Amino acid sequence: MHARSHSSNWYDVFAFISLAAGIGLACGIVLGGIALLLSAPAYGAPLPDTGEGTLMLRVQRQAEDAGGASALQAPLVSTDVVFRVSGPIARARVVQTFHNPGDDWYEGVYVFPLPESAAVDRLRLQVGERLIEGEIRERAAAKQVYDQAKTTGRRAALFDQERPNIFTTSVANIGPRETIVVELEYQQVLRYDGNRFSLRFPMVVGPRYVPAGPLRVNDADRITPPVMRPGTEGARTNPVSIRVELDAGVAVAELDSPYHRIDVRAPGPSRRIVALADGATPANRDFELTWSPRAGEVPQAAWFAEEKNGRHYGLLMVLPPAAGGARLPREVIFVLDTSGSMAGASIRQAKQALELALARLVPEDRFNVIEFNSNAQALFADARDASPEAVRKATRWIGALEARGGTEMAAALELALPSGERETTHRVRQVMFLTDGAVGNEEELFRLIQARLGSSRLFTVGIGSAPNSHFMTKAAQLGRGTFTFIGRVDEVGAKMSELFAKLEAPVLKGLEVRWPAGVQAESWPARIPDLYAGEPVVIAAALDRLEGEVHVVGERDGRNWEARIPLTNGALGAGMGTLWAREKIASLLDTARERGSEDEVRAQVVDLATAHRLVTKYTSFVAVDRTPARPSAEQLKLGAVPTLLPDGWDYGKVFGELPQGATDSRFALVSGMLFLLLATVLLLRRRVA
Amino acid sequence: MKADSDLPMGVECAWPIPPKSSVADRVGLAVIAILLAVGAWQAGRGLWIQAKAGLAQVLIGRAWTRTLAGETAVKPWPWADTWPVAKLIVPRLGIERYVLAGADGSALAFGPGHAEGTARPGQDGNSVIGGHRDTHLAFLREVRPGDALIIERPDKVRVTYRVGRAEILDRRDIWAMQQAGPTRLTLITCYPFDALRAGGRQRYVLLAFLS
Repeated sequence: MHARSHSSNWYDVFAFISLAAGIGLACGIVLGGIALLLSAPAYGAPLPDTGEGTLMLRVQRQAEDAGGASALQAPLVSTDVVFRVSGPIARARVVQTFHNPGDDWYEGVYVFPLPESAAVDRLRLQVGERLIEGEIRERAAAKQVYDQAKTTGRRAALFDQERPNIFTTSVANIGPRETIVVELEYQQVLRYDGNRFSLRFPMVVGPRYVPAGPLRVNDADRITPPVMRPGTEGARTNPVSIRVELDAGVAVAELDSPYHRIDVRAPGPSRRIVALADGATPANRDFELTWSPRAGEVPQAAWFAEEKNGRHYGLLMVLPPAAGGARLPREVIFVLDTSGSMAGASIRQAKQALELALARLVPEDRFNVIEFNSNAQALFADARDASPEAVRKATRWIGALEARGGTEMAAALELALPSGERETTHRVRQVMFLTDGAVGNEEELFRLIQARLGSSRLFTVGIGSAPNSHFMTKAAQLGRGTFTFIGRVDEVGAKMSELFAKLEAPVLKGLEVRWPAGVQAESWPARIPDLYAGEPVVIAAALDRLEGEVHVVGERDGRNWEARIPLTNGALGAGMGTLWAREKIASLLDTARERGSEDEVRAQVVDLATAHRLVTKYTSFVAVDRTPARPSAEQLKLGAVPTLLPDGWDYGKVFGELPQGATDSRFALVSGMLFLLLATVLLLRRRVA
Repeated sequence: MKADSDLPMGVECAWPIPPKSSVADRVGLAVIAILLAVGAWQAGRGLWIQAKAGLAQVLIGRAWTRTLAGETAVKPWPWADTWPVAKLIVPRLGIERYVLAGADGSALAFGPGHAEGTARPGQDGNSVIGGHRDTHLAFLREVRPGDALIIERPDKVRVTYRVGRAEILDRRDIWAMQQAGPTRLTLITCYPFDALRAGGRQRYVLLAFLS
């Protein structure tokens, strides 16, 4: 120790510490004050009563108690799905079992998704041993029949379409500890892209953001089932079992289920029997099964036909050969959804995909990045050259983005698709839109895309475990681009390379179908969309007779392309009429959106749907049991079946949380005092030594 | 102390602590200095949070007086991004608090905050008020069922609620903020009351119903 030898002076030490504490306090107050002054202008004063969009969450308390209806008392639903796949067509039977575990009579209401291209053409209600066939009625009429059965105590089922990919099954008068089964069937053309077929079965409707404004979404309560808080599900996982009986028609080379573990049996080279390895899975993410035909066995064209009521219905698929071409300079606008529903796994997938896309740009390209949640903002005021510095800046900017808040998608689309004349350059203008599509105002957005697209092309990238496939596919169709789904971080690379191939290769344009002379044909879609690399032409047609050859012609990179397919020796395909009607209805509704009025097509759609027994936005299935079951003295309770939160979503970020009710002042004080005490002890020891 | 003798005498006298201590000694001093600085900073911060919470209520009180006189959205200080929307009175405990607009961190530092999107305090529906358990809503642990909670509205009308029950909820149990059900006041703070740190998962939710 040094030479100072005077005895320790308590007063000195105390004075020193008091001074330090005093200085600390003063510093704290000054710094706090400065922070307060500086931070204040950063928040704009929130205007009282601004109309903000919401998630329209039907919040329910999930712990059972005396007060209030509990979601836990609603009937339990389990689902068993069997697919029969033959070539590019799948027929699915979806069996929903409603079980009422309680002592009250219940009406079970289950909101769930189906593939956006599903043509639902059958419903049966099973009560005990009895099977009651459902009837197609106009939506309001079906509801009336159902309501009457409901109030008179008879068992009934109603099946409505809320969106092309959201449906509601309502089952009335489920008795105490009783089980009622509803069976649906649908038909679907499978997606074929890049030499792979894919069968997708969504299982949960992710919570949808509903923007404010009375006229924008008028059925918000129909598309937002109650959502269970993670950790409170218990047995309520809405389990789904899946079985796929696959007959690919050609030898299967690769078969993959990226999101679920499966058991596969192979009874023959072109046949597979697939089932979930774990028996049943919680309904919290999309199921996907993909397969590719063995090389060299890929058919270049296929024609399936069926005769029904004297008319021939057919499905034509033609795969144009691959072609390379010079890469044209592009202007790419990347749009990233950073809303609360993207929090967690989704935003990681999206950021990684975006980074890959940025790395793919060359300095001749131009680009910009837009992010949106409750507001939309662009990185640069205008698209700029993709210089290495600009790309680095964008990468840093994206890296720092956080997912939270609303999903005001219209604002982002308006930024990405500026209205008015743009300078027409030799550049191809492409908008890449990365989102989970968790919104309820799809129609408004579709109209916006239709009105503002101009010469831009829109490419949707569906992110996460349960993307809104209807939004992804329809937005891409109206935006004359393509769609891609990314469900896991480890498939970002492969999925994005496929997309880059489409973005960079020349497009097959001006596609036309020429039916043989003398054959009366009505085929849909009326205007065939441009094709990107790896995509087939798919046409549904109704013909008065089958003879001659159909020609499909188009033009790519200045060269003509033509295919001829004989109509006479087509494969027999069941349910082609259903697919044709489904395709025609979709085209009619597109026309209605374009014209801004549904009145003209409504009657046409209802007629078609009735003739082909199809569920549409205007027509529903209803099935009623004859004998009354519920005694009139018993009350009927409404049980909205709660759904799971999609896998990887962050509940707090989606729905918000209760306000935080504590500061760190106590911790700061206690820890501060401890430090001061420790310092004092050390100081005293030095003096003593 | 040979080194000392090398120094000129005058210097040693003028500088009675020669800086000749060992490295360990200097490190010791530095550690003490750092401990003192950090301790002072932390203690100051803690005191500042409390001082701010107390001081702000005085300023907000003045803004409330002007609000009662007919002004709307009176900011208690020029750069504030919140304003008083009600006064909460607990007669049995002699408590008075000015409730601010918004239940986010920036408002809760200065007073209990009314959660946006829920019924305005004193109006029909569920009025949700959040606040810190270690400042403005520390009194909640003293509140008992049957106690009167009075809300003074900007139009000077006083609405009396009776405390019904309290619940401990997860912070994600946002049904507590839903509007359906009887008209009520929902006071939310962090739980447990004695926790040292902020950011816990649990919330203490007190429900008071219109009497």
